[in-house]
Amino acid sequence: MTPTPPTTSPPRLDPLGKPPEQKSTTEGGALRRVTREGVPFLRARSRAVLRLAGWSLLEFAQTFLTGYAVAQAIDRGFLSGSPTTGLLWLAVAAIATFPAALATRRVFGGLADLVEPLRDGLVRRSVSRALAQALTAPTPATTRSVSQVTHQSEIARDGWAGLVLSLRAFVFTAAGALAGLAALSPRLLLVVLPPLLLGLGLFLATLIPMAARQRAYLGADEAFAAHAGHTASALRDIAATGAGQRTLAGARDLASEQAGAARSLARWAAVRIIALAVCSRLPPLLLLLAAPWLMRHGLTSGALVGAFTYLTQALAPALHALLSVLGTAGGRLVVVLDRFTGRVQLPPAPTADSPPPHSPLAAVAELRAVSFAYGPAARPVLDRLDLTLRPGEHLAVVGPSGSGKSTLAAVLAAVMPPTEGEVRWLGRPTGDAEHTAVRTLLPQQAHVFTGTLRENVCYLRPDADEQEILASVAAMGVQPLMERLGGLDAPVDPQRLSLGERQLIALCRAHLTTAPLLILDEATSHLDPAAEAQAENALAARGGTLVVIAHRLSSAARAQRVLVMDGTHTACGTPAELLAHSELYRDLTGHWSPAPAGPPSTESSTEAPTGLPVGTAPAKTPRT
Amino acid sequence: MTGSRPAVTSPPSATSVRFLGAGRIPLAAVAICSAGAALAAVALPAAIGTTVDQLVTQGRIPWPALLLCAALTALEVLLDAVVALLGGTTTAMLTARLRTAVLDRVIRAEPRHGQVVSPGDLTTRLTANAADAAAVPVTAATAVAGVLLPLGGIVGLFLIDPWTGLALLVGAPAFVLLLRTLVRRTADAAADYQREQALVATRLTETLDGIATVRAAHSATRERARITEPLTALAAHGRRTWQIHGSAAGTSAVLLPLLSVLVLAVAGVRLAAGAISVGDLLAVSRYAVLAVGLGSLTGALGAIARGRSAARRLDPLLTLPSIPHRSRTLPPDGPGTLELRDIDVTREGEQPLRKVNLTVPGGTSLAVVGRSGSGKSLLAAVAGRLTDPDGGTVLLDGVPLDGVDPVVLRHEVGYAFARPALLGRTVEDTIAAGAVRPTGAEVRAAARAASADGFITLLPQGYRTPLDQAPLSGGERQRLGLARAFAHAGRLLILDDATSSLDTITERQVQRALAQRAGMSTRIVVAHRVSSAVEVDRVVWLENGEVRAVGRHSDLWADPDYRQVFHAAGTTAHSGTSNAVPNESTHSDGDGDGDTAQGRGTELRRAPLPGATEPTPIPANSGPGTVVAGRDNGEGRPLHHQERQPGPETP
Repeated sequence: MTPTPPTTSPPRLDPLGKPPEQKSTTEGGALRRVTREGVPFLRARSRAVLRLAGWSLLEFAQTFLTGYAVAQAIDRGFLSGSPTTGLLWLAVAAIATFPAALATRRVFGGLADLVEPLRDGLVRRSVSRALAQALTAPTPATTRSVSQVTHQSEIARDGWAGLVLSLRAFVFTAAGALAGLAALSPRLLLVVLPPLLLGLGLFLATLIPMAARQRAYLGADEAFAAHAGHTASALRDIAATGAGQRTLAGARDLASEQAGAARSLARWAAVRIIALAVCSRLPPLLLLLAAPWLMRHGLTSGALVGAFTYLTQALAPALHALLSVLGTAGGRLVVVLDRFTGRVQLPPAPTADSPPPHSPLAAVAELRAVSFAYGPAARPVLDRLDLTLRPGEHLAVVGPSGSGKSTLAAVLAAVMPPTEGEVRWLGRPTGDAEHTAVRTLLPQQAHVFTGTLRENVCYLRPDADEQEILASVAAMGVQPLMERLGGLDAPVDPQRLSLGERQLIALCRAHLTTAPLLILDEATSHLDPAAEAQAENALAARGGTLVVIAHRLSSAARAQRVLVMDGTHTACGTPAELLAHSELYRDLTGHWSPAPAGPPSTESSTEAPTGLPVGTAPAKTPRT
Repeated sequence: MTGSRPAVTSPPSATSVRFLGAGRIPLAAVAICSAGAALAAVALPAAIGTTVDQLVTQGRIPWPALLLCAALTALEVLLDAVVALLGGTTTAMLTARLRTAVLDRVIRAEPRHGQVVSPGDLTTRLTANAADAAAVPVTAATAVAGVLLPLGGIVGLFLIDPWTGLALLVGAPAFVLLLRTLVRRTADAAADYQREQALVATRLTETLDGIATVRAAHSATRERARITEPLTALAAHGRRTWQIHGSAAGTSAVLLPLLSVLVLAVAGVRLAAGAISVGDLLAVSRYAVLAVGLGSLTGALGAIARGRSAARRLDPLLTLPSIPHRSRTLPPDGPGTLELRDIDVTREGEQPLRKVNLTVPGGTSLAVVGRSGSGKSLLAAVAGRLTDPDGGTVLLDGVPLDGVDPVVLRHEVGYAFARPALLGRTVEDTIAAGAVRPTGAEVRAAARAASADGFITLLPQGYRTPLDQAPLSGGERQRLGLARAFAHAGRLLILDDATSSLDTITERQVQRALAQRAGMSTRIVVAHRVSSAVEVDRVVWLENGEVRAVGRHSDLWADPDYRQVFHAAGTTAHSGTSNAVPNESTHSDGDGDGDTAQGRGTELRRAPLPGATEPTPIPANSGPGTVVAGRDNGEGRPLHHQERQPGPETP
């Protein structure tokens, strides 16, 4: 069955755009979470990893040859009086670069196999998270979600690619260089390995504190950006309230906090340079120191030059690349990836498209002593409300803003569970039925998306046939819009539609559904009164029960019954009864005449701004 | 979105760069250290070469040469560390200073100047652009090393053996060509990639906008599939980018080793000929690598170019003029009499306000009406000094506004807007936001006066609810803005279309609360709806930036032109199809944007005009003479308004 998304306790969102669930902010925690989800990702791509490693072996060979060929060229060629031999050895080294170049190309192909799926996954996750969050949170954080989809997933993509590339290059270059050193003289390893390992250890020890500084820096940066963004969109109000100095003081604090984080990062960068020096700059010096001993044990001059070549031309650049990637992008990568960890569940798609069997006389919907409050401390919006909706009935709900009309719509549609009481559909609890098969809820903000008009109209009933679609289009007066766009299969760009046209498309979509209960939550607010009347009449003629959360009071006059809401006080009856008995209804409808005179009566008041034909609403056969 | 400010043709190192002169001493230190490190790095291969030669010939450790190598290495590493430390802290300091300076100028200037660029653009300038611009000095200081290293490499080659240097110079052009192709081909693939990425973002935004529908239709999984559908194409373009990178990297993977093998081969031949030593060959192989290290320089040059263009985006903000002010106070217990004398405002060659003369006696209310574009909001902005007029004077209780201390002014003048920006973290903070913080009780009283108390108590944590967790409609935001103005109510209150999204009942409640301030505050109400004009003592009717008439609404109403103002503001007012309803009126929270036209038009009712059925001639355009809006209807109540309605929230 379809679970209702919890709406009562919105998740806490912090300004850094971290996911709502509480995460420990220690580096260890972040690294653990990222590793936990990263290992299965890599395991699933072990072939890509192996392919990458396979091609990298060619680079291993090339690195091996750079030093070895130089050593041989000097010893056997240039210093032995046969420059040709020397040149031949160098030619070997030169030729070895060509397969390595091919390997580099292949490596980037393999890299794409590791990087693109990561980005895909991150975008999927952030889209799911944005949707899940928007479904539960009262205020969708659009900017933040879009930033996660575009900006942060790219940071992760670039950081990950850089890490894979430099790690791979380091592993195979280092292996090639060490093998070459061993080939020249195994004793060389005794000289080179200790400082290398010591430096790597030092560097690894700085990684965790570095990552913590990175996180602090990113956090401070985003806090400043949030403040700046807020300030930028509130300049007029800041000036008008005189909050300028306070805003500025806040910005100054955040900017100096960030500068502090950056200074701390710079100190660690200096430490990192020292660690890197131990790795890459100490071995050549040690080599010079140990040279007499090595030469006593048979190290030739060529081998000495070859060893230097390994150390300065292969090992040092690879180390430098790896450590700078780890030190900068690496910390950032963990911080950013950690924001994507944790999976979210979206509510499952509906499985049934027809309501469960029920007696034709059963109440379509029933509220039994329903109460609703937005929080345990909040005043209830609905207070023990009873309401029964009969088949085919047309109810209008009116009341001032904040009186709970939209809350009633959401509770009636089982989008929000009532705090107390029970909502029943067709004589059963709402949980027994596929929600979308029983009711259609149309909110004020029409969801029209980039796609064809057909896709938009069939959004709630993808299986509708051409005839049904055209009937609904005609009934709701969407024909002129359809002709303007160029037919059902013409693309729709929501940005080029007025709000009223978007609502018309959404109404058309509702007209096409077969659900026995249709709830319009101010879904006609951007239509002019004539178009609104046509839409409501056509939807009432569609059959089934119609509940209209009224935007204008004319909607009430068209209904058989009117529910007047005023906070927790409600009154229900025919329009005539309410005029007689409800002070509030009278207040809402009649006795407010703001203008002492109307506009000149010569105006052409029958024109409908959207150019809708009036009275083209054919009665549709009820589908309940 | 487009901050279409005329292109500023200032020299590349204008204000922001001059501003960065602040860190002169650390910058000089960075430059010296970085140059020193580069020189040490250039000297090192020669030193190592000499050491190796001595080792080979003597067979024992040549201590002086080895110690020189060690010293050069240590020097290079330490100077590099100092550059990292000093450069990082200097950039951090400059970034913070630049950001604060830009924001300071923007806040001190008239808000309209800062609003020339869109909020998103301004945020980008304050964050990314400021960081890029602030990084320029340090990048430039370290770029010296980027020049010294390759230069030193070439010089080293030529010093050791000119033939090796020539070999490098022959191979270098191919290297330059390679870099070019890399840049061009990535740009194409990157553009395709960014396009698909933008498509995902657009679809996500659309769905988030329509999330209420998705929630009701249980279509989240379908939406996710639709949003992520471009990922296939995105991945394809992404792969293409990697392939281009790969072929470029592959080419460079051939070219760089080949270049160095070429130099080595020449050096080897020279070694065999006895022209150079083994140590020289070692140094040559190292110098060849240094010489081709131009890549780091291109990176630095790119960063500098980016920083320069970022600085050019900051320059116009850093040169914004501050609002001048002196530190006069207002007379204590002044009634809030507002005088506008000969007000002229010029904007982009137009004169949206011309010779406006107007006196609003203290404690009365005035509505500003006129067609859109007639200068209503501008008048409201001038009246409370959100903007300064180009000519004329605004006096509050006899004191020119530009002479009043800003804290005093903001304490005495309150504004409410159609679309208020909510400041602060919680609902309570946003009502209390201002130069002086009101007490909790004052905040609640203000919220009640603005009819906001009702919905605030419905929020999960009431007044303490964080704004980002408060589901607020346009009307509710408006009421928070009103409450903010009420909480700071001094002697002048200016409401710029601040009730446009309220339903009729709520609007009436707010008007009643406003009327209760009669005698305490002077109230100026910019109104598009008739209902707002009805409620006030006097109406000023603007037309094309000039005062056309001042008078009571009931008198002005006789003029068809005046009625037409409201008709135009409400656009098509027509009765629709239902005759059964005696009076239809909107009673919903619109979102307060321009699209409310159809809904609002219905306010114009055909109720009979009480009193004057004969159009009374109105003095057309009262001219530059001062018009005094009277206080004869002291309560500020409308003459013909029903008084009996109990509001829904005040039974």
